[in-house]
Amino acid sequence: MSEEGRNAEEVRYRALLDLDVSRPEAREELVTGLHDESWRVRRAAAEGLVRLPERGAVVERLIAVLGERDETGARNAAAESLAGMGASAVQPLVHLLGHADPDLRKFAADILGQLALPEAEGALVAVLLEDGDLNVRVAAAEALGRVGGRGAAFALERVLSNPEPLLRLSALESLAALRHPPPLADVVPLLNNPLLKRSAYRVLGLIERTEVVALVCRGLAASESRSTREAALVALGQHSARMADGARPAMYAAVGEALRRLLGAVSWVTSALESGDIEVKTGALVAAAALREPRLAPLVAEVAQEERLVPEVMRTLACFGPETGRELLASMDRLSFPAREAAGQVLVDMVDESFVPELVQMLDWGEVDLKGVAARALGRTGALEAVEPLAGFLSNPELAGVAARALVALSAGFRAQVLQVLQTSLEQGAQPVVLNALVRVGGTAQLPLVRRIAREASVPLRATAVEVLAAVDPSGGLELARVALVDEAPRVRAAAVRVLGQVGDVSLAPLLQRALSDDALEVRLAALEAVGECGAVALAEDLEALVRHPDGAIAFRAVRSLARLGVLRDEVIQHAVAHEDHEVVKAALLAGAASGGGEALALGLLGHAHWDVRAAAARVLADSREERLLPPLMNALLSETDALARRALVDAVERLSGR
Amino acid sequence: MPFDTGRPEMTAEEFRLLRDFVYAYCGILVRDDMKYVMERRLWPRLEALGLTDFSTYYRYLRFDAQRRSELETAVEALTTHETYFFREPRQLKAFSEEVLPVLERRNARSRRLRIWSAGCSSGEEAYTVAMLLLESGRFEGWELEVHGTDISRRVLNAARLGEYGPSALRSTSADKLARYFVHVGPNRVRVRDDVRAMVSFGHHNLRDVDSVPLASRVDAVFCRNVLIYFDAPARQRVLRLLYDKLVPGGYLMLGHSENLINLSADFELVHLRGDLVYRRPEMGGGGGT
Repeated sequence: MSEEGRNAEEVRYRALLDLDVSRPEAREELVTGLHDESWRVRRAAAEGLVRLPERGAVVERLIAVLGERDETGARNAAAESLAGMGASAVQPLVHLLGHADPDLRKFAADILGQLALPEAEGALVAVLLEDGDLNVRVAAAEALGRVGGRGAAFALERVLSNPEPLLRLSALESLAALRHPPPLADVVPLLNNPLLKRSAYRVLGLIERTEVVALVCRGLAASESRSTREAALVALGQHSARMADGARPAMYAAVGEALRRLLGAVSWVTSALESGDIEVKTGALVAAAALREPRLAPLVAEVAQEERLVPEVMRTLACFGPETGRELLASMDRLSFPAREAAGQVLVDMVDESFVPELVQMLDWGEVDLKGVAARALGRTGALEAVEPLAGFLSNPELAGVAARALVALSAGFRAQVLQVLQTSLEQGAQPVVLNALVRVGGTAQLPLVRRIAREASVPLRATAVEVLAAVDPSGGLELARVALVDEAPRVRAAAVRVLGQVGDVSLAPLLQRALSDDALEVRLAALEAVGECGAVALAEDLEALVRHPDGAIAFRAVRSLARLGVLRDEVIQHAVAHEDHEVVKAALLAGAASGGGEALALGLLGHAHWDVRAAAARVLADSREERLLPPLMNALLSETDALARRALVDAVERLSGR
Repeated sequence: MPFDTGRPEMTAEEFRLLRDFVYAYCGILVRDDMKYVMERRLWPRLEALGLTDFSTYYRYLRFDAQRRSELETAVEALTTHETYFFREPRQLKAFSEEVLPVLERRNARSRRLRIWSAGCSSGEEAYTVAMLLLESGRFEGWELEVHGTDISRRVLNAARLGEYGPSALRSTSADKLARYFVHVGPNRVRVRDDVRAMVSFGHHNLRDVDSVPLASRVDAVFCRNVLIYFDAPARQRVLRLLYDKLVPGGYLMLGHSENLINLSADFELVHLRGDLVYRRPEMGGGGGT
């Protein structure tokens, strides 16, 4: 297209985007746009028509465009627009399914498939079974795969024996899309048909019968056809995804035996693992687990780039056994990031003492994520040689946590050595997590050091010391916390307040009252929690005022603390359930349920705008075990559209009705 | 064989709450089939914070005083993605051989070229683009800028450092390795200083259309394998932003498996000899012009 032509196209495109759809001429201007030579202009016109207010008239006009035989671009754009019209297009399109022109009937079926609304199921089933034109029947079969329903599934099963292979193919694909397993006997004859076998194996993978594994193995061992083997892999992946862990060893044994009969099985599985087809990859993982060939391990890990396959990758790598660990370790720095993540996790579970040298090397040169894996793995080796290398990371903010945890694990065998490196690194300015680790390993003997740190060290270490001391020496911790309440750093004051909550009592109410109005939000939030924890009922009034606070963090903690104190009044609960933050509402609901009177509250919240409040209300009602609550729950179920809230309601109905 | 991580499992409700919360913050959608990925990526955060289940972690993100920084950390964990030098070579070849000559002609007067690597992760793509500009030999004496942005501050630090290991270099030829990198350790290289000088990095949430850290428009945007993190409405918003930040006639490079079908007709598809790319049309008064 010339520069001039491109500019003119852009002008027409922008004009349609900017069109005022409330103008009476807008409809015909957009219909003209459907006929434009530029796909971008046609797209803008199709989208513009969806925005017009008089849907019924627009649908009729679009259906008229569908009938313009020589206007391919306009017809397709009209179809696209109709697919955006939602329920208002269903009946006119169902009517169009009866048109004399099979081309229009096919269009209607295709668009109904895109709309995917159950209202079209019956009409599409009738077309599938009765229309005289093969293309229309195929379109209906494909549409039913998106519309769904029991009628659709059974009709699709019926055409599996139709002599037309194209119809059988679309029926198989739609059954696969609906995840509806047809009878095994209907599928077996199709497994040898070159045109149908891939789809036939896909639905075979949906069938929960023990014979399926044998059929898949027969397909895997088929020496004459790569496509048959790949189709069998697809079925294997599908079948495996539904399988209980206990049944897997038998499946792996059967698959392994079939693959070993196949010449070059490892290289074939290798190429299947590298396939661009995710279904083939899924099956290849199962095949790899059956073969347990260590060389395959890095390739298996690479499949983790497909995020939805990560659980299967982990399961597969775990099958390989410890000998695979070195294979993974050696290839770690060349793996992609997702593969490293998966391999690292499995590696940590596989290591023993003999892995220490390689892991220490990885600590030296690896990137941060690899260093993290190495540190975790070193903690699992149970080797003294792992202690010193880990100590080097205790002052590294990104790795101190994992290194400290690894050292705590190693302290089971080498307590003195671990204590030594923790103490030394604290002297040299380690991260706060190290202090926790030190007390965990060394116990009360470390208190003098903790006290010193609480007075002298950095803000993060001072804050940690206050809490750590209280955990091992409550009275000493309380004393230190009182001092820390006037520390200039909010982080230290917040730590002190948390200690008051954990080991203090009601006598600390005045201190906590002051903390409730501290300048720093961090301290105020800690104080809200602490009031409930230490039972400072005297501060209930302060908390009640905060229930209405617009910040959900404050209101939430106020509700929880009042509930914990056992002084959450009905009036306050009513304020809380009116809060904008749904977590505050749930906290009030749960507190109300615990204190009695929760049923009325829960009934009122069955209609709440947020799905998880409705789900929580359903659970509260289910816990009541009151059968009389069934009718309102059933009513709520009828109008519930959210899947998770619906599940909670179904559970509640089942529990109350004793099912 | 049972596979048990010994970690708390994320319930469907916890997943939904966390997913919705992350989406509201940055428009990144964690698909239903990625529950396991979310569980795995966030577990280390629970471990680090000493929390025992995902409900508690959700409330931490909502209500703790450290919620803002923790949310950023969580998003970083969820969006860390695969990147390496000279990824998707076919597109890069088409960019070098067919797009850069066009940009050279268009900008001959200003002798200035600006390219945005949106969602640059740890910097490999931004540096790759800078290397391609040098490699082309077309822009001697020009003002060349490559700007990388990402939502994760942690990866930006790595990007600025410019040091990489074998995984990041798995598509880098030996001659490019010799020309554009210096060895800093047995398994580590650093991008040469003159390449690093062409590239700058900044923090940006693509959902936030008002805070793009780019003062003027750019000649090309690389936004490869980033849109996959967004749902359709968020993708449309991001594409609108990219459209606004491109000069008329500027190019948009998406990942090889990405396209704009059903998302945007604002861009025109350009059939190059070696690849397909998108371009903001020359004319038109769309937003931002």
